[in-house]
Amino acid sequence: MISITLAILMCMVAVLSLALLATRGSSVKRELAFRSDVPLYDETTGDPSLCPPEFAARIFSSADWTFVAGEKSPEVARLFLDERRVVALVWVHQTKTAIHRIMREHTRVTRHSQDLNLATEAKLFGHYLQLVAVCDLLILAIQAAGPSRVGALATYAASLSQSFADAQHALAITTAARDLRGASTAH
Amino acid sequence: MTTTKLVTVQAAYDDFLQRSLSKLSCDLARLIYLASTRDYNTGTYHHDGLAARFSPETAAKALEIAHRQIFLQLSAYSLEELVEQLRIYFESSKDGATEILRMWQKLEPYRIAIPVEVNPAVARLFLSNVRLALAIWRSRQDQSPPDQ
Repeated sequence: MISITLAILMCMVAVLSLALLATRGSSVKRELAFRSDVPLYDETTGDPSLCPPEFAARIFSSADWTFVAGEKSPEVARLFLDERRVVALVWVHQTKTAIHRIMREHTRVTRHSQDLNLATEAKLFGHYLQLVAVCDLLILAIQAAGPSRVGALATYAASLSQSFADAQHALAITTAARDLRGASTAH
Repeated sequence: MTTTKLVTVQAAYDDFLQRSLSKLSCDLARLIYLASTRDYNTGTYHHDGLAARFSPETAAKALEIAHRQIFLQLSAYSLEELVEQLRIYFESSKDGATEILRMWQKLEPYRIAIPVEVNPAVARLFLSNVRLALAIWRSRQDQSPPDQ
């Protein structure tokens, strides 16, 4: 009986957490659309690639904060925290949109494939869900602690999204080659 | 783009780097100069000397590549390095640093220095870093004792 109550409670906490993350995500998007100097990444205006990792490292670097703190100007420090927070959120938003686009593209390519490897597909989908969760967590962490304190999580998200993009690319090539082989043997 | 065209663009790029860009004091000055070779209305690049030596199309492509490269280079700079770039830029200008600083903070002319097809997060990082570097300069000026 206790274990069922505990399970229900855990489910409720999980659902509430997901709802909170989704709400935060959409409010961040609204804020960025209002505050950002450049158009937000989207399907029509955006560069389809992920942000290069060296820039992610720069955005979340603590070296800039150390330099700003050394200036001993509360005004500059305040401006830095605010500016860098917005840049970091733009980066997360862009990463998230890019991985959604990659997944959509993958679904489109594999939809008509005759010979899908379910284990590989499940692994890729798991990878995708993990990335979305990390990005949502990153949004909360940036807002709570600031970008320079969440560098490790951002680096993890950057490398995870890059390996996700690479895996999807490799899988798309394999699927296309397999379908081509299947078509040629059928004739 | 064919290999021959690529080789020509590379030659134009190297020529421009050697004859024009290397004469400028810092990467920030190079970025401002390259952005000024772009037409505001059409987004196409033009440089008389380079177009005469190669062709207008080759020159435009070389300028576009140079613009993008210098922009990415500057965007990857740390804040400390960018503040240093501003110092060199201010010192090499014939106008006073205070006046340039005032105008840059007011008009934000560096906004038009962003290449057209650029990653949005990188573009936002660049704008934010220049704004911060200017604020640091302003704060240093305010903190320094007035000249006797």
